[in-house]
Amino acid sequence: MSEFIIETKNLTKKFGATRVVNHVDLKVKKGEIYGFLGPNGAGKTTTIRMLLGLARPSKGSIHMFGKDIRKEKLAILRKVGSLVEYPSYYGHLTARENLEAVRVLLDVPKSRIDEVLSIVRLTKDAKRPVKGFSLGMKQRLGIATALLGNPELLILDEPTNGLDPSGILEMRELIKSMPKEHGITIVVSSHLLSEVDQMATQVGIITKGRIIFQDSIQKLREQASSSIKLTVNDVEAAWKTLLSNGYTTDLVQNNIYIDRGTDDQVAAIVKSLVEHDFSIYRVEEQKKSLEEIFLELTGKEGGLL
Amino acid sequence: MTRIMLSEFIKIKRKLILFLVVLGPLGVVGLQAVNFGLRYDWLTSQYKEDLWGGLIGEVTMLSVPTILIGLTILTSMIANIEHQTNAWKQLLSLPVSKMKVFAGKALLSFVLLFMACLLLVVGTIILGISLKFGANIPILYLLKMCFFPFLAAMPFLALQTWLAISMKNQAIPLTTGILGTIVSMYATGFPDWMPLKWPWLVNEWEKPIYSVLLGIVTGLGINLLSLIDFSRRDVK
Ligand SMILES: Nc1ncnc2c1ncn2[C@@H]1O[C@H](COP(=O)(O)OP(=O)(O)OP(=O)(O)O)[C@@H](O)[C@H]1O
Ligand SMILES: [Mg+2]
Repeated sequence: MSEFIIETKNLTKKFGATRVVNHVDLKVKKGEIYGFLGPNGAGKTTTIRMLLGLARPSKGSIHMFGKDIRKEKLAILRKVGSLVEYPSYYGHLTARENLEAVRVLLDVPKSRIDEVLSIVRLTKDAKRPVKGFSLGMKQRLGIATALLGNPELLILDEPTNGLDPSGILEMRELIKSMPKEHGITIVVSSHLLSEVDQMATQVGIITKGRIIFQDSIQKLREQASSSIKLTVNDVEAAWKTLLSNGYTTDLVQNNIYIDRGTDDQVAAIVKSLVEHDFSIYRVEEQKKSLEEIFLELTGKEGGLL
Repeated sequence: MTRIMLSEFIKIKRKLILFLVVLGPLGVVGLQAVNFGLRYDWLTSQYKEDLWGGLIGEVTMLSVPTILIGLTILTSMIANIEHQTNAWKQLLSLPVSKMKVFAGKALLSFVLLFMACLLLVVGTIILGISLKFGANIPILYLLKMCFFPFLAAMPFLALQTWLAISMKNQAIPLTTGILGTIVSMYATGFPDWMPLKWPWLVNEWEKPIYSVLLGIVTGLGINLLSLIDFSRRDVK
């Protein structure tokens, strides 16, 4: 059995001729909070729908818990709780009745309803019709429904969408507590890097249907590590001199950049410039923010912070 | 399947669906009460050979269109429970087979209409007794005339279930249902192969059971097709 809870290979979904999801290889390990990050229209929801068996892949395979979704869909779904896009609920029913309608399908004990209600702190409002709930409460009810079957994997598509800051904070804390307290693996999609940064342990970045980064959040942060910016007189000559001396640097907007250079490399470059009589005005460290990396990775048009 | 039906019955709580199930037969019996109340002498002389048979015949005249329009509204309301808040995606990402979910919806409509027909039987008996038609109730004939049209309308039920579930916009299923009901009122003169004629139980062999059998077989056929269609389709 593979070590991954979710493993997709060449997962592809076409609508007409466009590949909305394009050869995606997701790898999600047990106990992780996997942040599935991408700008609007990147294909997050479409991917998640395929993971839940709501949409059929045009190509590629999905294995979850080591099982092929084409062969053992129900056995897989038994262990999965989900919340896709906007919350689904039956407005004319109370929160408790909503949960009861799902509970009888899952065949879990009635006591589980009280448990999940208290996890999402809806115990007090359990007897009210859900159509009178605020969006945040509906979203929490959605989480409660997802938790009802004691899932091993929770798939949440933009669970903080439309929530106010305190709602977002609350949702984030709830999500972060799951792996710790219940040993649940979580996939949570978002178009906000800051949000993923605050809860995920692993990150997959998707844009235009393709995965362009998939690794730990630390690895992503390392990419944010410094570059050194040099401000000198006659940049162009300086850059050429450095090149002829074997130092590859970047020339951007009248500045020279040394990407991820070691201390020794930086020292050697500075020395070389001094020896060739360039005036060095400034040597600065430039930290790229995660946002800048995200923008760089997804292309400028995809940027949304 | 029991669990699915249980869940379906929880979901129709507090909807007007159950009210409708009572309203349909109550309406038919009520209108016949008015009909017989106003024209008591004329109708009783008309049917003096067989008072109960006359009453049952009059009831059937109204019950056929009521069944058709009733099933149109019922299937649409049942499907709309899921359409309204896009609950399909939640329901179908639970560990239950898509086929069973669909079958559950179809079965729910069937059971509710069955209950309505049962109420029609009871209502007709009460009306007949109040009209002093005596205790000699032709119960078998009554059961036939209440349930046969419904069973013969199975293709229509299957079609409306399919339309209501596969389209989010309920204007289309409601329109086909209403048109079907209107057309059916003139359907007794149609050729025998026309499904809308079947609920009237008239055919060239003069055997109502043929209409019923045709209805059940065709209905199950459409149910099967829609089941396959539903399970193949991506969830919206
Ligand atoms: N049923 C469909 N038919 C045609 N195109 C679709 C369909 N569903 C989604 N798309 C297209 O696929 C693309 C990806 O959509 P998707 O909902 O997966 O994006 P997303 O990453 O979830 O975006 P968002 O952050 O806005 O939720 C979009 O361009 C969308 O228009
Ligand atoms: Mg989305």
